Amino acid sequence: MIVAENVVKSFRLSKEQKKENAARPGGGKVDAVAGISFTCKPGRIFSLLGPNGAGKTTALRMIATMLRPSSGCINVAGFNTVSEAGKVRRHIGFMTGSTGLYERLTPLEMIEYYGRLHGMEPAFLEKRKTELFRLLGMEEFAGRRIGKLSSGMKQKVSIARTMIHDPQVLIFDEPTVGLDVITAKSILQLIRQCRTDGKTVIFSTHIMGEVSLLSDDLAIIHRGRLLFNDTYQAFIGAMKTKSLEDEFIRRVEEA
Amino acid sequence: MKLLAIVFKKELRDMLRDRRTLFFMIVMPFFVIFLIFNLSMRLGMDMEKRAQEKKLRVAVFSAVPLPKFLETLQSGDRVIIDSQVTRVEINQAVNDGRLDFAISFPDDFSENLDREGTTEVPIYYKASTSENERALGRIHGVLEQYGRQLLIQRLEKKNLPVDFVEPLRIDDRDVSSIREKIGQRLGGMFPYFFVIFCFLGAMAPAIDLAAGEKERGTMETLLVSPATRLQIVLGKFLVVTASGIFTALSSVLWLYLIFRQSKAIPAEVLSGVLKVIEWKSLLLLFSMIIPLCAFFAAILLSVSVFAKSYKEAQSIIAPLNILIIVPVLIGIFPGIKLTALTALIPILNISLATKEIIGGTIAPLLMAEVFLVLFALAALGLVFCAQWFKRETVIFRGV
Repeated sequence: MIVAENVVKSFRLSKEQKKENAARPGGGKVDAVAGISFTCKPGRIFSLLGPNGAGKTTALRMIATMLRPSSGCINVAGFNTVSEAGKVRRHIGFMTGSTGLYERLTPLEMIEYYGRLHGMEPAFLEKRKTELFRLLGMEEFAGRRIGKLSSGMKQKVSIARTMIHDPQVLIFDEPTVGLDVITAKSILQLIRQCRTDGKTVIFSTHIMGEVSLLSDDLAIIHRGRLLFNDTYQAFIGAMKTKSLEDEFIRRVEEA
Repeated sequence: MKLLAIVFKKELRDMLRDRRTLFFMIVMPFFVIFLIFNLSMRLGMDMEKRAQEKKLRVAVFSAVPLPKFLETLQSGDRVIIDSQVTRVEINQAVNDGRLDFAISFPDDFSENLDREGTTEVPIYYKASTSENERALGRIHGVLEQYGRQLLIQRLEKKNLPVDFVEPLRIDDRDVSSIREKIGQRLGGMFPYFFVIFCFLGAMAPAIDLAAGEKERGTMETLLVSPATRLQIVLGKFLVVTASGIFTALSSVLWLYLIFRQSKAIPAEVLSGVLKVIEWKSLLLLFSMIIPLCAFFAAILLSVSVFAKSYKEAQSIIAPLNILIIVPVLIGIFPGIKLTALTALIPILNISLATKEIIGGTIAPLLMAEVFLVLFALAALGLVFCAQWFKRETVIFRGV
């Protein structure tokens, strides 16, 4: 479960940004996330939809404890992301489209590394590793250096890294960006599988097709504020346009 | 502690598989030291040898015949006397290389001799060629020898012994031990190698483990693991420090091996050097390398984590190389000694302390001061790096 309450994240503007935004109020600061509240429930997929620069990545980084909220509070799996950041990190899996891998390690070494970092018992790590490698078809290249793998193989390693410690909460930040159709499809399958397994899933995207395929709950974020936050069915029911895409554009333009 | 060990082991494994780092750690010290020793030293010696053996074209101008002088000049068969150039052509002939030297005895030389006066004898040569500059000593030697022959003749005429014009004979007696002499010469060169290699050895992994991770997109995955930022930065810091230490040691080892096999170094110098370098001195040097590498690791990691990319990190770090070399070079200058004040200046203190350690003249209190300064710097560097690593504006700069 993820519970975000009135979360704000402000960033100081750089000199160039200050010049560009001289007329804007706020005195050298910008709210990337400006007071958002939402809940992601176990066994459901929460989609965070928004245009580029809307605050999606900042919100997900706060959930993953990488950034501290300027105000407000986020609880993940019952732990506060600021005061109990270590406990939160033990319960989350985080993946982005641009997630990198250690090219000089083998998939086996990399997965073992993250398993050990998550404090997994050797026997459980071994069992989990065998399961995931079989499930993802990674046995064949488990001992090869990651740098020599194809992009599809690398994506499988990335999935295994995210899942190795069997996290309760999964965070996907635009996970299909830059991937080919087949690899993107396997990621979407994985996200669905996580829902079936009863995990809490939050994923950000700006691709409408992914929203319609996956969402149980939906939030639209624009300029750091939530324009919509309800179930996907409620969104469909309240649509004033013909397509998802048009409805999204309408809401963003009206904001 | 367990998580720190896990991060350290992984970073170490990753680093040891990085060809660039291995090149900086092992291959580069070998090439640099090999080139310095076998190329520059041999080139220098060859130049000296060539200057000594070169057949010089010399023109001697005198109104009177100087058979004895010409005989001395031509002894050893290394001088060709030129008789084609005239006195008015001297400058032109030396400039265009037809002559290496022209010795011009003035027309009143003979009268001066008879009057028992002094004659000024100009030597024309071109100092812009280093060979001629070295060969000048040979011409000076011949003229001095000739001058002494004339002096002896004068003294004999007056029935005076040579001692008459030599009331004092200076006898230099250096009481410093061979160890101290070697300490002054070799000790100045030693830090030049290991300080720079400490830095270069730490540089490649520092860039790879921070800016490289940011660029490859692996930093985020590490930040969401249960390892704290302190554990992550400490794991990286220890690996970078270890790489710096290893590179410094590898440079010292290469230096030793190349030094031993070098034919350019006379055998007595070689055995003298090997005798004076004690295990105790090496241990003291090694113990200075540890905090120095830790300090470099902290600075390099801080810069690297700030950089948006590998390239940016390299461009920020490159000028730091010069900052490191300057205090080392100052330490090589003669007359600069390790004092309570110079012991406070990082890197310079190592440079000066190394000379004293090898020479066996290090004062325990000054050594303690150097250690204190180095460890304090390393600790400060590490605290800064750890705090820097926690800053969101730094770690997510450009991510």
